[in-house]
Amino acid sequence: MDKKKLALSAMAVLATVSLAACSSNKSSSSKSGTTASVKLSPAYNNTKATDKTATKNSTLKVAEPNDSPFQGISDSVLATNSEDADVFAPGGSDSLWKVDKNYKIVDGGLANQKINRKAKTVTITLRSDAKWSNGSKVTAKDIEYAYEVIANPKTTSQQYSADFNHIKGMAAYHTGKSKTISGITYPDGQKGRTAVIHLDSVTPAMKYSGNSFIWSTVEPYEYIKNVPIAKLASSSQVRKAPIFTGAYKLDKVVEGESTTWSPNKYYYGKTPQIKHISINVVSSNNIDKAIQSGKYDFTVPGSVMHGTDYKQLKNTKNYKLVGQPALSYDYFGFNVGHYDTKSQKNVMDKNSKMANKSLRQAMMYALNLDAVTKKFGYGVTWRANTLIPPIFDKYYDASAKGYPLNIKKANKLLTDAGYKKRNGSKWRSDPNGKKLTIYFGAMTGTSAQAAEYQDYLQQWHKVGLDVQFTGGKTMEMNSFYSTLQSPKQSKIDVYAAAWGLSSEPTPTQLYGEDATYNMGHFVSKKNTELMNKMNNNKAWNDAYRTKAFKDWQEYMNDQAAVAPGSFSYNWGPVNKRVKGFDMSPKNNEFWSSLSLTSSSLK
Amino acid sequence: MWKTILRRFLIMIPEVIILSILVFLLAKAMPGDPFTGSINPKADPQQIHHLMKINGLYDPWYQQYWQWVVHLFHGNLGNSYQYQEPVTRLIAGRAGNTLWLALFTMILTYAFALPMGVFAGRHEGKLPDTIIRVYTYVTYCIPFFVILVIGIWIFGYVFGWFPTTGSISAEASGSGWLQTIGSRFYHILLPGILGALFGTVNIVQYLRSEVIDAKGSDYVRTARSKGVPSKDIYRHHIFRNSLLPIAAFAGYSITGLLNGSIFTETVFSYPGMGLLFVNSISYRDYTVITALVLIYGILNLIGTLLSDIILSIVDPRIRIE
Repeated sequence: MDKKKLALSAMAVLATVSLAACSSNKSSSSKSGTTASVKLSPAYNNTKATDKTATKNSTLKVAEPNDSPFQGISDSVLATNSEDADVFAPGGSDSLWKVDKNYKIVDGGLANQKINRKAKTVTITLRSDAKWSNGSKVTAKDIEYAYEVIANPKTTSQQYSADFNHIKGMAAYHTGKSKTISGITYPDGQKGRTAVIHLDSVTPAMKYSGNSFIWSTVEPYEYIKNVPIAKLASSSQVRKAPIFTGAYKLDKVVEGESTTWSPNKYYYGKTPQIKHISINVVSSNNIDKAIQSGKYDFTVPGSVMHGTDYKQLKNTKNYKLVGQPALSYDYFGFNVGHYDTKSQKNVMDKNSKMANKSLRQAMMYALNLDAVTKKFGYGVTWRANTLIPPIFDKYYDASAKGYPLNIKKANKLLTDAGYKKRNGSKWRSDPNGKKLTIYFGAMTGTSAQAAEYQDYLQQWHKVGLDVQFTGGKTMEMNSFYSTLQSPKQSKIDVYAAAWGLSSEPTPTQLYGEDATYNMGHFVSKKNTELMNKMNNNKAWNDAYRTKAFKDWQEYMNDQAAVAPGSFSYNWGPVNKRVKGFDMSPKNNEFWSSLSLTSSSLK
Repeated sequence: MWKTILRRFLIMIPEVIILSILVFLLAKAMPGDPFTGSINPKADPQQIHHLMKINGLYDPWYQQYWQWVVHLFHGNLGNSYQYQEPVTRLIAGRAGNTLWLALFTMILTYAFALPMGVFAGRHEGKLPDTIIRVYTYVTYCIPFFVILVIGIWIFGYVFGWFPTTGSISAEASGSGWLQTIGSRFYHILLPGILGALFGTVNIVQYLRSEVIDAKGSDYVRTARSKGVPSKDIYRHHIFRNSLLPIAAFAGYSITGLLNGSIFTETVFSYPGMGLLFVNSISYRDYTVITALVLIYGILNLIGTLLSDIILSIVDPRIRIE
């Protein structure tokens, strides 16, 4: 625990008051990074003793802030929304792995994994007491069936990605050429405990949960085998009476509204303590009031809480606010090329409007992100200094400077690059003397976001750049992404957007040469090389891999084709009757660690 | 009479067809598609294309429309992209909630409005009438969603008397039918009361003017001259006669309530058809949008038809042969 916090505070991300002293000896390395003005800890250390009778007899009331009813797909292979994952979280999400603070897979979870670099296999061995909440054994077939559901030609799952083609026979199964996946074998039979995955190559990313090669959950094959995969998402086995492998078993789902849970007596891990858990969807508009009136113990860790909510809730009596850096970041993208549909590759256009590095850098230096995030983020959002968020302890480059406000430098960069004001115009023209109008694409959001966008425009105007909203106003989310995702477009030159990340941060799917999500189309030899280094043969060495990540961050910061915008906390309120709350990734026993110090909400 | 109804019904058919085409086209004209919201590093664009393809979303609109119509006649409204289950089942699950709320609100509305209307008409120009008139105009002026937001804040959060989200509490579900019904009723109580208190203006004003008209009519004068007590005149002569146009109004008010459900359900996070509609629009869940607009459209047509039928029963003069 201490070690974890020490590491985090050294990165200048979070530190509790009690640990401030411990971190001081390492603070020299934290100076140049950016920090949140509010310090939140991922755990609430309730010093009161657990009230055993209250814990045994009470219901823990959990809120899931969301604007719409949840979809009700309990199966993580098929679910497409985080709210489904949230309301079914006490079931343990059927996760195979136990992870450490860096999301690295360690022994001791539902299964252990062994990567054989020579044979290019990954062996997954289930623990001997692994059981579903209906008492049946978790088998090797359950591991394999997840891949079948993902890759079945008729599946409704959105999880299939090109990386799965590295598993032998997966592509053939996905296209319907083969009825089974030849690359997954069972040394001790389908009902045994071991599954071996044969690949054409293994990569260091596989050591981390959330990688795109090895799927991280099991499917209850025996329980769902009679449902056609195309109809799985609407079956009662998935919606009404799903079974789980985690600490709690599902008692009841009220469609779209709530789930209720009680301890799963077949759970292999720490015995759950609280008798009942209920999770209710609460409209994001009402969540502050619901917390202030003491209706819920906490919001599901990982659910969406905004800066404005923080402002409302920070002084709420009887609640402690907890948080950790989110698995996401806001960024600015510049359109510097197009996507060649023939070769299926991104191509940079040397003559595109934003191709000049100095122009991009100047635009970033012109922004006052520190002030904007401070004013509208209420302390839980802060300027990002790099494209890897600080939750990735090991890879996050705390020393990166990013783009702090520097109008002087911005002006100099522009003038030196030939972007000058000509013929008495108040706007700069491009180096060839042609009129320069830059179109900024931004998604319609909250009023705070609207104010932020206005500030960006003002700042850009300050350095003499004629920047306007694409189409004169902010764009609705769907049209924003339709525009950006068209192979070639000239409507948006610079845009503000965000990425949510998986717990394995390799950025190839976002910024790779053949990545369709590389919407700014920035491609360079060096970039490809740096990203390859993250997962080449040498990257099995942790230090090498860490350096690869840091080198890439430095390079991307310099190029400013995709520039960091802001980081934020993933945070929530916790009622002071709750004990044992710790949302950090290394707490693999989140639900079973919880207990209560009083029978009613404070 | 039957002829009128039949003709009205036949007119509805082209109306529904035009409505469905319009809805279908407009839904498709919105930027984005059901999978735009799925843009995340974990969702491979290839798989999204694959899903778009097997769902026929790349086909020209008339093909998609025709497919939809064919399925419609098989009782199949398609699958929701967002919820990944049949639209019919999805809507059936929500329709109950909306109908209960609408029905409850309507009963309450009439329970509030009828006495108020009669009372105002009876005391025309006097203080009670003025108070009731001011009340109805004030409620008419304030946008309904404002009332809902203020209501949920005061009675849901400040006083904590009513639940503020959902249609049933997590604890009550599955613990006996009495608790289930009780909890469901408890959840529609506040939105129902608010809807009723602030939805009275039409009925009160109609009823009031009917009562005032009736007061001066011949049969009332006759009754008075016969020496019938004033109480009985109001109960048997005036009230009954004034009620007829109000009854005719019922059809329209049903559709009004259904339209209002969009606001109520959004504010109270009440999972009915209205909230589903709002969500499906932002998710571009085409199948659900088209199905819901069609259902709302048909309900509107039926409501109008119902009102016309009642009117023509009440007042034979407006029957068009």
